[in-house]
Amino acid sequence: MSLKKEVTISPTTRIEGHGKVTLTLDDSGNVSDAHFYATEIRGFDYFLRGMEAERLPFIISRICGVCSTAHIMASVKAIESVYEAEITETANKLRELLLMGQVISNHSLVFFFLILPDFWFSAEEDPSKRNAFQIMRENPEVGKKAMALRSFAARILEIVGKREVHIVSVIPGGLINPLKERERESLSRIADNAVEIAKDALNLGKELFDKSWAEFRKVGDYRTCYMALTKDDAAGFYDGDVRVINSEGEVLSEFKPQSYMDHVEQKSLGWTYAKFAYLKLLGWPKGIVQAGPTARMNVNRKVSSEYAGKELEEFKRKFGSPAHATLLSDYARLIDLLYACERAKELLEDETLTREDTRVKVRPKNGRGIGVVEAPRGTLVHDYVLSRNGKLKQMKLVIPTQINNAAININLKDAASEFIRNGEIKQGLLNRIEMVIRAYDPCIKCAARKADENLRVEILSSRGELIKIL
Amino acid sequence: MVKAGEAVKASVVSLTCCAGCVSSFLAAGDALLEILSGDFDVIYSPTFIDLKEIPTVDLAIVEGGVRTKEDERFIREVRAKSKILVALGICATHGGVTSLGNRLSLKRILEKEYSLADSSKLPELEDLMRPICDFVDVDYYIPGCPPMPFLIVHSLKSMVSGKKPVRHETVVCTECHRKIVPAKLDRLYGIYEKETDPQLCLVSQGFMCLGSLTREGCGAPCPRAGFTCFGCRGPPDSLMYRSRDMYSFLVQVISKRTSIPEEKVKEELYRNPFVFHTFIFSKFERFKARERVI
Repeated sequence: MSLKKEVTISPTTRIEGHGKVTLTLDDSGNVSDAHFYATEIRGFDYFLRGMEAERLPFIISRICGVCSTAHIMASVKAIESVYEAEITETANKLRELLLMGQVISNHSLVFFFLILPDFWFSAEEDPSKRNAFQIMRENPEVGKKAMALRSFAARILEIVGKREVHIVSVIPGGLINPLKERERESLSRIADNAVEIAKDALNLGKELFDKSWAEFRKVGDYRTCYMALTKDDAAGFYDGDVRVINSEGEVLSEFKPQSYMDHVEQKSLGWTYAKFAYLKLLGWPKGIVQAGPTARMNVNRKVSSEYAGKELEEFKRKFGSPAHATLLSDYARLIDLLYACERAKELLEDETLTREDTRVKVRPKNGRGIGVVEAPRGTLVHDYVLSRNGKLKQMKLVIPTQINNAAININLKDAASEFIRNGEIKQGLLNRIEMVIRAYDPCIKCAARKADENLRVEILSSRGELIKIL
Repeated sequence: MVKAGEAVKASVVSLTCCAGCVSSFLAAGDALLEILSGDFDVIYSPTFIDLKEIPTVDLAIVEGGVRTKEDERFIREVRAKSKILVALGICATHGGVTSLGNRLSLKRILEKEYSLADSSKLPELEDLMRPICDFVDVDYYIPGCPPMPFLIVHSLKSMVSGKKPVRHETVVCTECHRKIVPAKLDRLYGIYEKETDPQLCLVSQGFMCLGSLTREGCGAPCPRAGFTCFGCRGPPDSLMYRSRDMYSFLVQVISKRTSIPEEKVKEELYRNPFVFHTFIFSKFERFKARERVI
């Protein structure tokens, strides 16, 4: 009789959306395979065909309420590239400010609400207490800081984007209306404080991280290629070229967003709705690539703001470049957060931000266009084909979670192998697996335009009989 | 009703959605901190809390609609274990943008696009995206995509203190500052075809603003900014009767405010069939059923 077993974890908690993991054990009871599942499909790629391009950006943002602004940016960029529209400097600055709001909003949510409990509490803590609400009860100051950053981001999105979630002001051709001077001043006043809080968050993160680093560095040290936007050799979110490096840190290729699809291929593996993106140049599986906070630190030599720049130097000194350990994403994300606050502050101090030329007239055309931005979780790509009468003919999206999908699965296998030996399952498996997934901050909701997932641990025999639920 | 003075145990759960409603809830800043530090205890939420079993609660806040068998099983269990159930956001109340997928058979598409060798681990898809009221009894509906942070927090505050939340019965126009001045136009305009006048009603300028058939309560942020209302809060009380046809109503409003003859407005709307169904499609259209008509 075969001893082959399967372990299922469903639903994963403290990640955005629901996820499901299965671990397959071989005859001797060791992990032979790990799968992270996309279990549901909403079908955005299909039902938006035929939609007027004019309505696309605000509808497509509904793919994900957490990173809606990044989707809108990629969407209008794709449409503008079809229309060959050049938008004004003012519009570009305001859009970048909105994207910084997006990054601050997401990264502060991920750090304070999803990740922090793993570092704050010991692994033995009662699971019902291991959450952000409990931290806020124990230490209201932390709660206030989390809210202050969330509020700063919400104010940027509300004032410039006109809504806190699913902004409406960004349209093909620019922004629907200019920023008023008093609005700029009021945002600028809270920006200083946000930078200080982001520094505090980074210090808190570093302090907690240092304590557990010896243990964390073992988790998933899988070497892959990395991809991120780069502008003048520094990390950029809003624009720049796409740069790909190999696991040694050598630049493999650097290309314009418009040629993205010439470099990246996607494949379906037959057991999940989420597709896997990889580099054409190296093929599958050599071309497995990662995007996101660590990738941004690895791909770029510098970050163009003062404090985040110093932090990046320290990061590279401590962990090398490229850095590979999976849980370093949690650290790198805080450098992103600090950069976004500093950049938002810098943009808000620029008095030309209130110029009135936020909009150019666009002329609808047919053709294909690609829009690329760095979303909080990595490089986000929208590729549209529009018809002559301004309707969507075809759409292809490459979501960061699809890029990271392969690496997530591989890292899960590594992490699980440490906890399952010869059929014995050690304590702490569940949380460690979830920490790996959390480090990628997978946007299941984005993948869930194609996928939605769920986590609970079930141990099944090879005949599919349920042996145990953890 | 929840008794005043006692800590309210709450759960926050997500079905098929984009997580925007919970994001909006978390964007409420100090007001949120105030209710979280008061008598409001979130004890279950897969997004934030490690508890895996659904507990019994006083108040369940549900975002998202039902797309899979798993969603259906989940919402029934949540309902059975909560005193008050709140449908948060248009996906939970009306099906939301995802229900636009109802006009296609996703199953057929999946068979074509993904050659799934092993789909045994994936929950079975339902044919349609449906609002949760198709499956369980709902105590309060807070439509919106997403509902504004202040609206969520104010409503929850009332529920927590045992009061009935304030209802918003009429249309977005009542919250919009723009002046309705009948204009003389010869056609309708797309939102980026021309710049908007800052004071004049968007419909009077020829834009297809849905404020006149959308529930108020949001503060009209979109039309105030010069972007047409796209109906994310669903119909107001007066249009929730089957006999009151939203389509004819919109034709009349546009025609009156622009002087474009009704016939011509109809023609333009015909070219743009999803304009007022973007968020409430599953409540109005059953393309699947149409395929079965002989």
